[in-house]
Amino acid sequence: MKRINNFLLILVLAFYSSALPTVFVRTVSSQSLTKPDVISQRSSSLKLTLPLQEGSVRFLAIGDTGRGNKEQNELAKVMVDYRKAFPYEFVIMTGDNIYYQEKAEDMKTKFENVYRPLLNDGVKFYATLGNHDESNQRFYEPFNMNGQEYYRIKKGEVAFYSLNSTYMDKRQLDWLQDELAKDTTKWKIAFFHHPPYSSGKRHGSDEKLREVVEPLFVKYGVDVVFAGHEHFYERIKPQKGIPYFITGAGGKIRKGDIKKNSPFTEKGFDTDLSFMLIEVWKDEMHFQVISRSGATVDSGVIKRKN
Amino acid sequence: MNGVTKYYSLIIFLALSLFAAAQISTAQNLKSSQDKKTIAAFEKSAKNYVKLRERIENKLPKLSKDATAEQIEAHKTAFQRSVQSARSSAKQGDIFTPAATELIKAIIKNEFKGKERVELRKTVLEADTQGVPLKINFPYPDSKEQIEMPATLLLALPQLPKQLRFRFLGRSLLLLDRENGLIIDYMTNALP
Repeated sequence: MKRINNFLLILVLAFYSSALPTVFVRTVSSQSLTKPDVISQRSSSLKLTLPLQEGSVRFLAIGDTGRGNKEQNELAKVMVDYRKAFPYEFVIMTGDNIYYQEKAEDMKTKFENVYRPLLNDGVKFYATLGNHDESNQRFYEPFNMNGQEYYRIKKGEVAFYSLNSTYMDKRQLDWLQDELAKDTTKWKIAFFHHPPYSSGKRHGSDEKLREVVEPLFVKYGVDVVFAGHEHFYERIKPQKGIPYFITGAGGKIRKGDIKKNSPFTEKGFDTDLSFMLIEVWKDEMHFQVISRSGATVDSGVIKRKN
Repeated sequence: MNGVTKYYSLIIFLALSLFAAAQISTAQNLKSSQDKKTIAAFEKSAKNYVKLRERIENKLPKLSKDATAEQIEAHKTAFQRSVQSARSSAKQGDIFTPAATELIKAIIKNEFKGKERVELRKTVLEADTQGVPLKINFPYPDSKEQIEMPATLLLALPQLPKQLRFRFLGRSLLLLDRENGLIIDYMTNALP
């Protein structure tokens, strides 16, 4: 009987390990995460862990940016620097694109002026709406939302689903289900504002959102999810086979907000602003997380399931 | 004799239970039928507002899908003024009628119980919404947070036309126009 039980246990473990995506992680020295003097040296010390394969899909992910403050501007400079080493074509924004007032002048000081070098170079920004964003942002040309609160774009073998998590109603869920059901693209990536899983002390996991979107992600094979809302970076342990990232430190950091010993955290960084560089090539998604000092705070590879 | 008494007691208990269950079921069906009427009336009122605001919006310069920040701001301001003028006599309860209010409050109460209700109240009451006017025809300030509506609650509430939004403001529930940002109607003490 004991032998049968052990055999069943092995079978169950084997099943779960095959269902989870493989994430290979490169280690980063803790010193590199905190030293502020790296800022001045960053141009000469850019270290890329991404493979730069020909024909790959290259993008940047960032969230909770829209403040127009000193920190956001400093991070934007690092984004520009890294584009020289890693020529990403577009940026996905995980919401809270414009904090507080949204007058025409605010759109300039909190977005256009900050990312002017990238916009001038033809880098496209694809926005999603956060709880600080008005619905009218969907008409704003530089956000490329095409008048829609939720939309799908395709880049090579990657389909991106930008969702409005502030108002996830039946209409949007029906649309998501219909689009995912007919989507034959190799990679499916969803990005939106509120994180279904989070170790944040202030907000934490959005369980009500998770309850309605996760079944669709699982059923239709969404490969990776990006969210914001929490003002830090967190790589969540794969949940039901799906890796989740929180990249919400694009304009302000909530220092020490990641709970210690959280069951969700694979890697967290809550001491400075950050963004993610991502390269999708064949069945691999490589990622590298960069802080305001230009240091790499996390990196790794996600292998797509078939 | 004692056994026979127990036997009859059990039969009577079962019969009463079945009767009570039938009564509850009938009451629920009646309530459900009334709810449908209430929802239909609420949806009709919401659609009537949408018709009005569409007539107004059609007279304004159309906002393109790749507008500038200036165009968006100008459109919103003009839209607000026109709707405010057209609805100058609007008052609280025009759309959130007493019946609709009662039903929606019951849905919220049913959806959030115990710990979940405490958490929702915490989220809503801690949000950056201080100073938002609880007044019909007033714009919801763009500088204030737009609290996420819990997804499962949206599935339970009547579905609004895409131009309208439910949104919590403290314990009140607003009905908002998503483009011009005006408070179309509201109910107080929506959050138990």
